[in-house]
Amino acid sequence: MYSIIRPNTWVAIRLPSGVTRNILVTPNATISLGKYGSFPANFIIERPYHITFEIEDQRPDEKFSRIRIVPASELYAEIFADEESPDCSAPTADAAKSVISAEGGAEFTLVDAESGKLVTRSNGEVIDENARQTLTQDEIEELKREGNNAGKDVIAKLMLSHTALDQKTSFSLAKYKLLKTKKYIRRFQILPVDVPNLAHWQLEERDASKILDLRAEMIALVGSWGNVHYGGDSVYLEDPQATCEQGEEALAPLREDLLKGRWLVVDDTGGLLVAAVAERMGVLFPELDEDKSNLDEQTKRQRQEAEAEAEENQDGDVVMADVQDSAEKPNDGAKPKKPRSSDFEIPFSQTNTITVVHSASQPSLAFLGYWNFDAVAPSHVEHPLCRHLMCLTWLQLLKPELDTAYSTPPLTASTELLASWKPSRRGNFHRKRRRFARTKHIVEATRAGGFSGLVCASTMDPISILKHTLPLLAGGAPVSMYSPTLEPLAALADSFSVSRRTAWTSGTVPEVVVKTVEELERWEGNEQFPLNPTLLLGTSIQTSRARRWQVLPGRTHPLMTERGGTDGYVFTAWRAKPAEGKVAAKGKFKRRKLETGSAAESEAAETPIA
Amino acid sequence: MAPTLQHTVSPFLEPGPRTKPNSLAVLQLSRDNFVPVYLQEASGEHDGYVEGAVINTRYGSFPHSTLLNVPWGSQVRASKVDTGSRGRKRKRQLDEEAGCETSEPIEDENEKGNSNGADKEHGDGDEAKQLVTDASGFIHVLPPTPEIWTTSLPHRTQVVYTPDASYILHRIRARPGSTLIEAGAGSGSFTHASARAVYNGSPVEGKRQGRVFSFEFHEERYHKMKKELSDHGLDGVVTLTHRDVYAGGFLVGGKSPEADAVFLDLPAPWEALPLLSRQRPQLKEGEVGEAGAKPWVSPLHPKKSVLLCTFSPCIEQVTRTVSALRHLGWVDIEMVEIANRKLHTARDRVGLYLPVDRGVNNSAKDVEEAITKLTEIEERFRENARPKQSADGTEPAKQESKAATNGKTPMNGAALKYPWLDGRLVTRGEPEIKTHTSYLVFAVLPMVWTEEDEAVAMAKYPLGRERFVVSVMGKASMKEERREAMQQKQGNRKSRRKDRDEKLAEVEG
Repeated sequence: MYSIIRPNTWVAIRLPSGVTRNILVTPNATISLGKYGSFPANFIIERPYHITFEIEDQRPDEKFSRIRIVPASELYAEIFADEESPDCSAPTADAAKSVISAEGGAEFTLVDAESGKLVTRSNGEVIDENARQTLTQDEIEELKREGNNAGKDVIAKLMLSHTALDQKTSFSLAKYKLLKTKKYIRRFQILPVDVPNLAHWQLEERDASKILDLRAEMIALVGSWGNVHYGGDSVYLEDPQATCEQGEEALAPLREDLLKGRWLVVDDTGGLLVAAVAERMGVLFPELDEDKSNLDEQTKRQRQEAEAEAEENQDGDVVMADVQDSAEKPNDGAKPKKPRSSDFEIPFSQTNTITVVHSASQPSLAFLGYWNFDAVAPSHVEHPLCRHLMCLTWLQLLKPELDTAYSTPPLTASTELLASWKPSRRGNFHRKRRRFARTKHIVEATRAGGFSGLVCASTMDPISILKHTLPLLAGGAPVSMYSPTLEPLAALADSFSVSRRTAWTSGTVPEVVVKTVEELERWEGNEQFPLNPTLLLGTSIQTSRARRWQVLPGRTHPLMTERGGTDGYVFTAWRAKPAEGKVAAKGKFKRRKLETGSAAESEAAETPIA
Repeated sequence: MAPTLQHTVSPFLEPGPRTKPNSLAVLQLSRDNFVPVYLQEASGEHDGYVEGAVINTRYGSFPHSTLLNVPWGSQVRASKVDTGSRGRKRKRQLDEEAGCETSEPIEDENEKGNSNGADKEHGDGDEAKQLVTDASGFIHVLPPTPEIWTTSLPHRTQVVYTPDASYILHRIRARPGSTLIEAGAGSGSFTHASARAVYNGSPVEGKRQGRVFSFEFHEERYHKMKKELSDHGLDGVVTLTHRDVYAGGFLVGGKSPEADAVFLDLPAPWEALPLLSRQRPQLKEGEVGEAGAKPWVSPLHPKKSVLLCTFSPCIEQVTRTVSALRHLGWVDIEMVEIANRKLHTARDRVGLYLPVDRGVNNSAKDVEEAITKLTEIEERFRENARPKQSADGTEPAKQESKAATNGKTPMNGAALKYPWLDGRLVTRGEPEIKTHTSYLVFAVLPMVWTEEDEAVAMAKYPLGRERFVVSVMGKASMKEERREAMQQKQGNRKSRRKDRDEKLAEVEG
């Protein structure tokens, strides 16, 4: 993933101003960076990520600008110079001349007591920058137009023609230079579009509310507490080889023993959470050659040739409505042709899968497009998510009989009849049968439960989500729910409060006593007990916040401003399998009581939740 | 801890639906009290218990047989276990050993103890099935996860906690199939989290296995950690090496791990950084260049950007690390600090008329209640101040007012009936928070790009076929740009019109 920039992938371009932009790198395009210039895309295809490029001045005989790699030593030249000066923080240029003495009364002046050296000059003297800049805007524009060594000349000239430069403190000088550099230097860096980068871009530069203000540290916490990880090697159900005359009865039966490593996801962040979960499960990025360890050179070359061929053949119509066709159209020269699979073949793996439950009739997973995956119409390019991502609606989960796609029996037709149809009608027939088989499988597998965890970032009430998903979780499975605001999670945690649990288990609630454990697992909820409080263990709410620092010689401090808004909160717990009947817990606290009476008392009060 | 344990897959990675013998499980005693246990099948007497291995907690005793082969997350009741006679027996055994007596009396004692025990079901053959539950309490059995392990592991060093570990792994893109170098394994908290992150299944030909290459300098810690990893079935994912990485570098068995992610939890990361370079590190002054004979092997993946994180508690360490990183060509250097807070929810019960109880604040819940109370006091005061008419008259009046207060108690029936619905729902932070764990420095080392590589890429994607423009700017800003360019070329509309008028005038004239 991180090696080189592949053609036709999304990348993030970071501009000198710190702004990042996502673009699709298409061969034979010209990439324009606005005021920073433009260059041919072929210059960055198959080049490494994270390298800093500089747009060179256009040569007189060429119609495009070339780019060059800026070595790290050049990037850090100034910092190195700062480091080498004996006292990092002292002003470098003739400091002595314009020193304001300590008793001069400038309260901003800082003098190091030991060495008597000046640390900071008063900034009272520095006046409006524009007044001191002798270059006019027109002159600057002129400078920019003529060859200017990638903007460096402009910056140098600006610095030179600033009359009050020697009156600036070293800090404001550095700041001034940085400001001008951001504006004029023609450098850029290419970053891969992955979950951390995309989330950062969406949060800082786009609409943070679209991803529910999900910051990197919260994505990490949600995934981590959800115990999301690779869920086992892919296992597929055998193709039932159903003929066109066969209906529902020919479907491959669900094998619950094969289901393993499955995570339930409720996502209202436009697919960012699903992408984060997929990244942790290793199904977000297509497998690439460099990820494979022992491929001999020959297969590699073969593949490359095939790739190049495929690229030439490919003219526009990439989007094909079905996964099915991929089996017939090998996109890989080295692979042997697979026999045609029947309509009822289940394309999904039984392990390492993500099941998304969505509230609209189609899942909203637009962000997956940045990894070339379209959840609504999977393209024929084999993407790991095609086989590991399953979507169903809440209706299909809870009342499948009301859903048309699930409850309409599949069409059947004899071979002769089928042959007499027009190709488009035949295609429709197969498409509907395939959709039926897939929907049936997804719904049955989800309702069978046994999920390895629940990960959630939703605008829906968390209590209502848990009411219907808790029965689907395997024992010990973690629950990890993100919310941008605290209140919904607090209400959720309160429904598992100690006093609720004590009342529930003590057998004083008449509705509860009459029910069996199995019935209580599917507790419908009432006013006093919105959820069965014994179904979750170790409920806890937490929040994290990353604070960024500037690290420069003699100028290290936290950043002055950062994004505000909500911090975001995560509710975590584990699914419990409560024992049948009344459970008492008196505990043994003799020894503790001797040590600290009050501590033991509080422990005793907590006992029931253990 | 446990004798030889056998695994197919680590319980951390694939715990399966139920608890298994000879595998790690975590017992949750109370909210934040976890006890890791290696469950063993009952095979006769163990450590003086007829039930086999037993765990004793303050919530009672739990024979392993009650914890085995149950679904994860199960609530397990305590069992009645004879812990008392075992202690006596042991003492006697010691005495007897001292007195060099035969062991026969002990067995007699054993049987006697069983028959006289509180529960007479304890036979010799099938004890496990006849265990009697005890009302002393219960526990839950949880599958081990890196998060639980971090809170329950035996501390050998400062631990990297989940808020930091999760963020680091997210930032250095440790994902299935990654190869991660970890220096300073310490207590193994981060090792477990990273093993979970990089694990990508059983070895398949052609698939790059996710691996963690961990290094530990301290010998005792190394051995403990080694044992732990094999007990947890993580041998296949984690390769632990006992080494001082400042001197010894990061190669394993002379070969490069080909890492694409690095985590350094070392006191002096800048000492180790030169060895994490793509080129031979420059020799320090005074060192002899004897290494010239051997070709330099980089521990990093040659064809990928490498992402690094260092974990240092002090700002001085950060300054030196960042400086070293810059000199070694790392880019995108960023320093971050993570602040994590846990929040507790509670019901805030405030009210003058609430029963006196723990956690109840018996003061006025609002101004109205305060006024009611004050009025009451005033009334009583005035009553007392009034000249007493007769002893008989005053007494019943006082009692009356008391009764009135009790009757007035403004408590709704529901709240009394359901105390858990009473009071306002509030959240507050935990009593003690970690205000500083460590500074995290992140950096990226791009791959080396040579002239030859450039020539190959250039030949594959030649120039001169540019057909369209992809702009990073929006459509609006592009339009704006074009308009500006036009204006500079031709001037604005007014000046153009003026020119035209002049030309016309000339022609006409």
